Amino acid sequence: MQIRSGLMAGFICSLLAWQPLQAKDVLRVLAWPGYADVDVVQTFEKRFQVDVEVTFVDSDEMLWDKMHAQHGPQYDVVAANTAEMQRYFAAGLLKPLNPAWLPNTRHQLPRFRHWAAIPGLQQQGRLYAIPFTYSTMGIIYDKRQFATPPDSMNVLWDPRYRHKVLDFNSAQHNFSFAALASGIDHPFQLSAAQQKMLVQRLVDLRRNVLTYYSLPEEATELFIQHRIALMFGNYGTQQLNSLRLAGADVGYAIPREGVLAWLDCWAMTVAASKPQLAQQWINYMLEPEVSRLLPLRQGLADTLTASGELQATARVLWLQPVENAGQREALWQKIISGNRPGNI
Amino acid sequence: MRSGLLFKLALLLAIFGILSSGLTGYYAYSANRSMLVSGAKDDLLTLVQNINRRLAADIDEATADVLLLARLEPVERVINLPEGAEREGAKDRLAQSFAAMLALHPEYLQIRLIGAADNGLELVRLDSDHGLTKRVTGLELQEKGHFAYVFETLSLPAGQLYQSGIAVNHEQSSHDAEGRPGLMVATPLPRHDGRPGALLVVNIDLAHLLTKPLADLPAGYQLYVANRWGDFLVHPDVSQTFGFDKGRRILMQDSFPATRPLFERTRRTLELSGLDEPQQSPGRIMAFARKPFGMGTGEDFVVTGLVEPLKDVLAAAVPLGQRIVHMVLAFSLMAILLGVIFARALLRPINMLAEAASSFSSSAQPTALPVERNDEIGVLARNFDRMRLQINNHMASLYDNQRELSYLAHHDSLTGLANRSLFFQRLEQLLQQAQHEEIQFAVLFIDLDRFKEVNDRHGHACGDQILQIVAHRLLHVVRSGDMVARLGGDEYLILLQGSFTPHTLDELIGKLGSSIAEAMIVAGERLTVGASIGYSLYPRDGQTVEQLVSVADNAMYRVKAESPGRRTYSSS
Repeated sequence: MQIRSGLMAGFICSLLAWQPLQAKDVLRVLAWPGYADVDVVQTFEKRFQVDVEVTFVDSDEMLWDKMHAQHGPQYDVVAANTAEMQRYFAAGLLKPLNPAWLPNTRHQLPRFRHWAAIPGLQQQGRLYAIPFTYSTMGIIYDKRQFATPPDSMNVLWDPRYRHKVLDFNSAQHNFSFAALASGIDHPFQLSAAQQKMLVQRLVDLRRNVLTYYSLPEEATELFIQHRIALMFGNYGTQQLNSLRLAGADVGYAIPREGVLAWLDCWAMTVAASKPQLAQQWINYMLEPEVSRLLPLRQGLADTLTASGELQATARVLWLQPVENAGQREALWQKIISGNRPGNI
Repeated sequence: MRSGLLFKLALLLAIFGILSSGLTGYYAYSANRSMLVSGAKDDLLTLVQNINRRLAADIDEATADVLLLARLEPVERVINLPEGAEREGAKDRLAQSFAAMLALHPEYLQIRLIGAADNGLELVRLDSDHGLTKRVTGLELQEKGHFAYVFETLSLPAGQLYQSGIAVNHEQSSHDAEGRPGLMVATPLPRHDGRPGALLVVNIDLAHLLTKPLADLPAGYQLYVANRWGDFLVHPDVSQTFGFDKGRRILMQDSFPATRPLFERTRRTLELSGLDEPQQSPGRIMAFARKPFGMGTGEDFVVTGLVEPLKDVLAAAVPLGQRIVHMVLAFSLMAILLGVIFARALLRPINMLAEAASSFSSSAQPTALPVERNDEIGVLARNFDRMRLQINNHMASLYDNQRELSYLAHHDSLTGLANRSLFFQRLEQLLQQAQHEEIQFAVLFIDLDRFKEVNDRHGHACGDQILQIVAHRLLHVVRSGDMVARLGGDEYLILLQGSFTPHTLDELIGKLGSSIAEAMIVAGERLTVGASIGYSLYPRDGQTVEQLVSVADNAMYRVKAESPGRRTYSSS
């Protein structure tokens, strides 16, 4: 009798202890730092009476690893750029979204509502990702050395600025923007001939640049120390602040050939057990109060407000998987190592 | 109760002893530990600074080599001569010298002469290739103008030195140097006309620089080196180094938050231990030192750090700790022993006092007291002794008073003879004695004749004197064992012990009578009194006091009635 009542008490206790865990749904978010700050998360938790667990990543590789955990993704929603989204879709890791549950998309700029125009958002006619934040890779120039802002990518090759140019050390982007500068329409899908031509263009560029940078701090330091005239702004407008803080009088130009840009989107993974909650999160991310924190806190652009740097008419090439990343990389290594055209 | 006090006192003293030795031991142990750790921290910092100095010395050596190579005769010819056989010959000779230097220094991965012209095209290049020297020529030579070590060096005045930061070499086909962390040391070589001509650059292998310091490190030590942004360049886990190269920053100030001030340049060195800063350096001892690096802007620096497990250092404290434990145990044992001894020594005089107090009334022999002591116990003993003396005196006078009162109660105050009460007591005793043994005795009743007349005529004082004289005469006649008592007025009783014949009794009575009847001088007058004496005999005349006295009384009256004078009769 005593044992039975003890068991009963234990059972009731475990029920009581279990209760709060059962009571609240948990939303698991995989995102980049700055996308889900504590205050933003708390507001969502309060409004929807759920717990939110946020995991941050700081590279595409880390994101890929997390999404490919042993038993599938352990997250409900994920933030990644359009190129990555295409990979995740191809790997069958995403669930389609229901536009009816995402009413806040109506606040977005027209550019971001033309889902069909942005590769990676839709697959087989269904919506898989919603744009959230982006950054263009325009030209940063020294206003003191330019009376009018440069308007073409080709200014990087201009011998007048020999050794006054900085470029970003990246195989993919260099081929892509060199393709843009050369008037190639599909810079992410190069033919062998185009590639060969671009190698020469990139060797020419190498001879015109002072050097290549990897980190934004490095770029700022070089810019100031060597009186750089212009550079390829891989980190976009985020770089402007640190340059201005360091004393540079810099401008940001979107070349007429078009500009490369990454676009981070929110998507729902196949592991999302509460699709409605996952989409409530995505919809919440597009609220003006939440989205405007991106320019305020991160120096990034949001998808709701028009940016001064990016005209509505500007041609934006959202990053896409390239025809052969490995080959671009191999060529780039030769170029950056200083090989002469005959030896590439 | 005394043993209880002994136990408590001994326990108290022992606890004091154990506590003090335990605390001293603990203090010694922890002081030793913190001294060891503090020493280890200093040693570690010295080691770190030595590593920094050694790195600097090795790099200095390389810069000396660079300057030496720059002064080689063919260098000048390669820079200034136009293209042609003579210039090529100079290049070949230079290549031989480079090869010799490369063979001599396994830490050098490349030695190159790079021209300022043609986008920094390499002119003479010797690579270390699987440890062998390999000259690179022709189309294999690369344009290096876009590398910082080229354009930075070319911007320097002649004779100056350039030193790069530590980085992974990503220059493809650089043979052994490719993919390895290292640094460049270079010097500019201007042409005769003063325009930049070339630079001479030596590529140094970081792993080689660190081989000796790492080999010298004791086991368990971990070496960390970070660049000025905190990116790890050296880490026990190689995958944590050059994170920025893989698109991911792995910073020293994140792994060791305490190092932040070194990167903010508010501190130059840092020492931490898990003993003093358990949160910042859990279970470890760490030392970090910032060291200016490179020769460019003077802004560059590296932070070198060594980490040592705290337990390795504290292990040295264990033997002492064990000794201290033994010492504390020994001292505690001694404290218990001493506690018992002290408690006993302290309690002995108190016990003496207590014994003296308890045996005070019972024993006639006074107990010895520690009166000779000079301390408080001596004072107590002396006071107690004095008190004992006073009480004894009081008791003695009490006994005296008691004796006096008892005498007064049993004696006649006028004559000093026993009174009726004492006489009857004695008689009672004899009767009791008689129950056990066969004894005889006689009771004499004496009444003075003519006493009333003498008293009336000469006064009471005179009468009293007569009564005293008679008492005296009676005592004089009887034997010492017999009892004479005054019954009151002019009546006396005598108890005679022993066996009597009527004859001997008569004789004695006669003696008594005549002794009383002798004349006496009282207040200047010659007076005589007579006496009538009756007697009774035990056991013949009665078995009780009353019977015996009554028989003697009656006999006396008969004598007084029949023949006033000195005649005596018994009752029979």
